[in-house]
Amino acid sequence: MEILIALSHGFAVALTPYNLMWATLGVTIGTAIGVLPGIGPALTVALLLPVTYSLEPTSAFIMFAGIYYGAMYGGSTTSILLNAPGESGSIVTAIDGHAMARQGRGAQALATAAIGSFIAGTLATVALTFVAPLMVKMALLFGPAEYFALMVLALTTVTAVLGSSLSRGLASLFFGLALGLVGIDLQTGQARLTFGIPELLDGIDTVVVAVGLFAIGETLFVASRHRYETEEIFALKGSKWMSREDWSRSWKPWLRGTLLGFPIGALPAGGSEIPTFLSYLVEKRLSKHPEEFGKGAIEAVAGPEAANNASAAGTLAPLLSLGLPTSATAAIMLAAFQQYGLQPGPTLFDTNPDLVWGMIASLYIGNFLLLLLNLPLVGIWVKLLVIPRPWLYAGILVFATLGAYTLNNNVIDLVVLWIIGVIGFGMRVLDVPVAPCVVGLILGPLAEQQFRRALAISQGDPMVFFTHPLSLALLVIAALLVIVPVVIRMTRGRREPEPVNSDLKT
Amino acid sequence: MTTGRGLKFGEAGLGAAVLALGAFIAYETLKSPGAANVVVGPRLFPYLIAAGLVIVGASLLREAFAGRIAHQQGLELDFGAVVLVSAGLVVQLLLLEALGWIPASTILFMVVARAFGSRRLVIDALLGLALTAAAFGLFNYGLDLNLPIGGVFDSLVAEPD
Repeated sequence: MEILIALSHGFAVALTPYNLMWATLGVTIGTAIGVLPGIGPALTVALLLPVTYSLEPTSAFIMFAGIYYGAMYGGSTTSILLNAPGESGSIVTAIDGHAMARQGRGAQALATAAIGSFIAGTLATVALTFVAPLMVKMALLFGPAEYFALMVLALTTVTAVLGSSLSRGLASLFFGLALGLVGIDLQTGQARLTFGIPELLDGIDTVVVAVGLFAIGETLFVASRHRYETEEIFALKGSKWMSREDWSRSWKPWLRGTLLGFPIGALPAGGSEIPTFLSYLVEKRLSKHPEEFGKGAIEAVAGPEAANNASAAGTLAPLLSLGLPTSATAAIMLAAFQQYGLQPGPTLFDTNPDLVWGMIASLYIGNFLLLLLNLPLVGIWVKLLVIPRPWLYAGILVFATLGAYTLNNNVIDLVVLWIIGVIGFGMRVLDVPVAPCVVGLILGPLAEQQFRRALAISQGDPMVFFTHPLSLALLVIAALLVIVPVVIRMTRGRREPEPVNSDLKT
Repeated sequence: MTTGRGLKFGEAGLGAAVLALGAFIAYETLKSPGAANVVVGPRLFPYLIAAGLVIVGASLLREAFAGRIAHQQGLELDFGAVVLVSAGLVVQLLLLEALGWIPASTILFMVVARAFGSRRLVIDALLGLALTAAAFGLFNYGLDLNLPIGGVFDSLVAEPD
């Protein structure tokens, strides 16, 4: 009841014409930028940050919610028509979605993705509405030791599930943690790794690193591969509508995908890779036509795409209620909160109910608007795919540098952007995942703060992390996540199969 | 051009770089003063992270020599394009405050387009000019941000407000 009152208050905030305008603008440009090849949701959110600087926080986050969901919708269009998944969550969608596009069933693939995203997004937003306040209640029981353990768990899962090898994931994570050290130590005021450059005292901005890795690194990589790769775009033709059979084969995968996506996204173990892969496997097992999988089965688009969107909503639960980002996109959203001097967590629900509930309400609104934007207007978005590559990437770099420069209006940020971009190119070539770096950069300093707080309370006794049952449990789970796969790999011997996701971008 | 062998070299380089970063952070931290009167000073986390980097770097080096490579079939890379794009970024950041946002970013636009194989210099220039000018107008007048006009033009053009 309490929750419904809060939510209806949120709708009152979000439905004012002024905020509704920002929500509409958010979903529209979120879709437009998300559709562009090479731009996933994380980069979309990072590139569109400057647009919100002049807004007051509530409107800014209402717009963000729209951008976030819009980028998810736009990303599925790119993966289906171009086989260019902008982030790891749409890799599975791309397999069968692109196969459908080859067979001239691109419109049906886009439709099942859009309707599935709408259903999953809406159900998952309902779940978020009720789960987030529960998590807030739980969070109030947490002390610094538990927070630290939770952050360790989040860092471990982001690292362990991504990429082709654990050491690559860890290299990315520790690089991010090292970048997080730069700047003034909050507790003692001492400068760390700043090399006497005053601009570095405030630390390295998460947004600069994310844009450097996702935009500059990626553009450099595409530039280096440009001559050796050809792209095919499949035009939409024939009937635009899903047949009766399409519907009957889609609706169950939508619901099952939602059921998989939200809980896994909401766990601090988060991420969208696991639920989308699980959804694919589940649908293949349950399908009457398992032989079609990989060759354009509509279930294999409907399920994973629903799972992807549901986990995107799920990710917001730990972000809003615990201040815990579990994906690169969530890390950038957290950076956006910090930009406004806000720290997501239990207190945010008390101090800024307008913002939190307005944002949640606008997720419902945004989802509805996106269904309208994506079903009838999909032809317009498809046109964005044919922008000539030289202009597309030139434009991406212009806006990437604009975003980095306008953060603090200084050229040092552009220097950092360049360095991170070149490193990002190297990571891309050597198949090192970049998401752990972004999450590590923003979580590292927060984890350090909780760690030191916990030890200050325990007067320096490090056992505090192991004597609190909750903290111990979280740390044990984190350790198992690292150890179990290694043990499995060793017992399986050397005939280990090539990992499915060895070419992840994020 | 990169073959499997070059990639193996890169792989070893990655391990070495991670290792070196760890050693560097440990050294820098050693030089920095600790803090009195706090339970955990500002040096513990840097040491932990440095240790992590060293261990991961060593393990990457081991993997590189054990022969597990990311792209088994090798990977062709056009380094000319990479150098061109990154040079474009350097030129933009060097010229940004002197020439201003519009000219500096138009140059970036043209260089990147060239790196992606465009040969229509004039059209690229016009398009870049239109895009950067539109961004300038939108952000400086619509959204109250400050993209630089450029020191050279400052004396000619009045302040935006």
